[in-house]
Amino acid sequence: MAGIYVHIPFCKSKCRYCDFASFPDKICFAESYMACVYREMSMRSAELKNYTFDTLYIGGGTPSVVDENYIAMLVAAAKKNFKLSENAEITIEINPGTVSAGKIETYKKCGINRFSVGLQTAIDSQLQDIGRIHSLNDFLLCAKLLKGENFSVDVMTGLKDQTVADVERTSEVAASAGGSHISMYALTPEDGTPVYTDYLNGELPDGDEVAAMYAAGVKKLGSLGFDRYEVSNFCKKGRESRHNQNYWQRGEYIGFGVSASSHINNIRFTNTFDLDEYFKCILSGHLAVINREEVDEQGREEEYIMLRLRTSDGIDLDKFKSLFGVGFEEKYKPQLKKLADSLIITDKTVKIKDEYLFVQNSIIVEFFS
Amino acid sequence: MIKSSNIRNFCIIAHIDHGKSTLADRLMEKTGQVSSRDMENQLLDSMDIERERGITIKLTPVRMFYTAKDGQEYVFNLIDTPGHVDFTYEVSRSLAACEGAILIVDASQGVEAQTLANVYLALENNLEILPVINKIDLPSARPDEAKKEIEDVIGLDASNAPLVSAKEGIGIEDVLESVVHSFPPPQGDLNAPLKALIFDSYYDNYKGVMLFVRVKDGKICAGDRIKTFRSDKIYDVVEVGVFSPNLVPKDGLYAGEVGYIAASIKSILDVAVGDTVINAEAPAAEPLPGYKKVQSVVFCGIYPLDGSRFNDLKEAILKLQLNDASLIFEPDNSVALGFGFRCGFLGLLHMEIIQERIEREFGLEIITTAPSVSYKVVKTDGEVIFVDNPSHLPQPSDIEHMEEPIVHADIYSPPDYLGQIMDLCREKRGTFLQMTYLDKSRVQLEYDLPLNEIIFDFFDSIKSRTRGYASFDYELKGYERSKLVKLDILLNGEPCDALSMIVHEDSAYTRGRVLCENLKEAIPRQLFEVPVQAAIGGKIIARETVKAVRKDVLAKCYGGDITRKKKLLEKQKEGKKRMRSIGSVEVPSEVFMQILKTNKD
Repeated sequence: MAGIYVHIPFCKSKCRYCDFASFPDKICFAESYMACVYREMSMRSAELKNYTFDTLYIGGGTPSVVDENYIAMLVAAAKKNFKLSENAEITIEINPGTVSAGKIETYKKCGINRFSVGLQTAIDSQLQDIGRIHSLNDFLLCAKLLKGENFSVDVMTGLKDQTVADVERTSEVAASAGGSHISMYALTPEDGTPVYTDYLNGELPDGDEVAAMYAAGVKKLGSLGFDRYEVSNFCKKGRESRHNQNYWQRGEYIGFGVSASSHINNIRFTNTFDLDEYFKCILSGHLAVINREEVDEQGREEEYIMLRLRTSDGIDLDKFKSLFGVGFEEKYKPQLKKLADSLIITDKTVKIKDEYLFVQNSIIVEFFS
Repeated sequence: MIKSSNIRNFCIIAHIDHGKSTLADRLMEKTGQVSSRDMENQLLDSMDIERERGITIKLTPVRMFYTAKDGQEYVFNLIDTPGHVDFTYEVSRSLAACEGAILIVDASQGVEAQTLANVYLALENNLEILPVINKIDLPSARPDEAKKEIEDVIGLDASNAPLVSAKEGIGIEDVLESVVHSFPPPQGDLNAPLKALIFDSYYDNYKGVMLFVRVKDGKICAGDRIKTFRSDKIYDVVEVGVFSPNLVPKDGLYAGEVGYIAASIKSILDVAVGDTVINAEAPAAEPLPGYKKVQSVVFCGIYPLDGSRFNDLKEAILKLQLNDASLIFEPDNSVALGFGFRCGFLGLLHMEIIQERIEREFGLEIITTAPSVSYKVVKTDGEVIFVDNPSHLPQPSDIEHMEEPIVHADIYSPPDYLGQIMDLCREKRGTFLQMTYLDKSRVQLEYDLPLNEIIFDFFDSIKSRTRGYASFDYELKGYERSKLVKLDILLNGEPCDALSMIVHEDSAYTRGRVLCENLKEAIPRQLFEVPVQAAIGGKIIARETVKAVRKDVLAKCYGGDITRKKKLLEKQKEGKKRMRSIGSVEVPSEVFMQILKTNKD
């Protein structure tokens, strides 16, 4: 398994919690940017000719803010430069405030078969507060356009003034609108974002309150027929995100565009976060990688543990042994004993109990050297 | 060689801040020992901590030449001394090497408690005392009252005391001239076998152990073979010399002189401060009397933060002890903290200074446990033992009774603060003895106080309640029977030996409650709920709960940015390495200092 990620760093306006590479005031450069991305793909084409890619993920930013024809050309460029498998999962992130029937039609026609819709919360006042450009109604209209499609909904917890009931209602809205997959994230106030000021002023719910909201959301989603297959991801049967599952397998992927990360052949590297620098590099025929790190044996093992313990499948003991040449249960005997209360340990797998998934850092860190 | 009648060995005693180091600097400048241009402020205070805190901890000797009005040239050996009550031991060492002492009294503040303690120490050592009134340039100076106080409180004739301002360089000549006439020259027989008192030492990486000595009888030259009374090892003297204030080699040191000896002494355990150096070929029969040995009064455990650095800590403590003979220690083993040392100190400041020196001079991070005093335990079988480590206390059923050290405290203060001081002493279980009006602006209060009430924050409290006006000194009086109990702290049901303490029964409940509250704040939330309990014997007297952590997940591995998340986890792991496990509970090292906060007002 291998995946392709493309980052579209444009938005109508920046959400107050957003810490990602996105440049609302540079949307006029979208055309040039897309051209650079196609070019970057062709620069990588030869090097990756032996790979078959199973997923393509177009994220951002807001990919749906740029002209849909560029997106269609992007999918075409990916297919032209790389070998995409027959039934590849091709996902695009969309903002309910930027869609139209024509856009969705174009997306579907070019081969996009999965959509990730940013709802965040079903409460309009909270949407406004975090700086989203859409209302609940915009979401419902968008969902109508996606009727019958495989689409996922992003939901957030830990927002200012948010209650447990709000989270439950948002989950219900997302499910009844037809979403077959839900990503539910707790807001992380990152330094430098406007929301961080709210956090410093003590206006955000504290860790315990967020945990309560999250637990309520998990329960609600369960009752609506969604399985939790990763700490923050829930879906109806068979609707897992293949692209993300590849990340959690320590799989390989190649990223294109500003700030995109890649993992190829045990080397992790990242593109520049600076739009101008990205242009300069690509237009002068160079890649835009700013850091590159080969993952050593120890690091691979730690990454694998860290990523697998996020998932409901956990660590497959046979697979671990075949990857690292040592039995997980032998090597980490003291840790397994210490953490016995929070883990489910069988002869085949080790995984974190559902109720402990939300405190997984404390658990994972025990396996680090 | 200098005639011994032209040598004057003296020290300076003063209360902190009364200008001792400044006066010493002036004397050196005036005698041309250092040009004022080269002068760093407080030349003798060479340790960083000394300069920063503006106090002298280590005594530092220096040699000066002075041509007096009688036309003769004199050699002055000045041995600087610490002023704080905790460093009485260092003071007594320098006193043993001197014939005279300059007593500095601040013209505006008069006689302070610590001044008194050191004056009595000097008088016990048969030193001549020359009072000097300093800071006469201050607007608040009242030199006549200061003189009267010296006469009334100490009983010294202060009529001819030089009036100086060390800061402004006023009256320094007077002081130098008075040194010649007030202090006797050293007595000693140049032709007798060598006897030299070791009053200090330190370790030099190139020369080995350096001994600071006062030659009482005979002489010592490079090439001599020497030994000490306490040890049989013989050393060849490589170099002798004097302090000016840097080390300056000389052909020899003669009776009456103060200087240093380098003799390639490798081990810091082979020579002890207070011992007598003798000639190995013509040994003197009797050692010098040494000096008053001072007892440790405060004890605490010191452990390396990183358990694998135990040997580095051992090395550091050994080296410090060479330099500071009043530091005592023995290996200790705590369930919670692993291997470390139980150390004894002269007081709280001494303890703080040592902790700071270990961290700064040796680059070691350490965990210290709460200070304790030494308790006398009379067991039911009649045996009497002394316990300074709460975890070594016998079972309650084996204890007939316990006694705690009591100090006699002198507190000097303006009358305005009497109420506050008396309240504080009452809170600290003090017994009022008497009150004396020294003059209309100063009162002397005498109290008996349990030492274990003083070691936490008495000094800070008295300073804050009197806006710094009161001064305080104490000396050990003896042991008194007391109702003492051992207060244990249990984390998740497991006792933590490093957090145990011995307290008076009446304050046990309050202490236990406050300590649990503080610990609840200081212990990070774990995967499970952690009860924090205080107990006496088997009985729980207070309980708080550290709730289980409910959220610590970093939600996204967005766009496959796995490196960032892993870095965050690695950072968290680094933090964990600084923690200690007590049973299943992980506790940051700062927690062990929380215990100190129990007495906060």
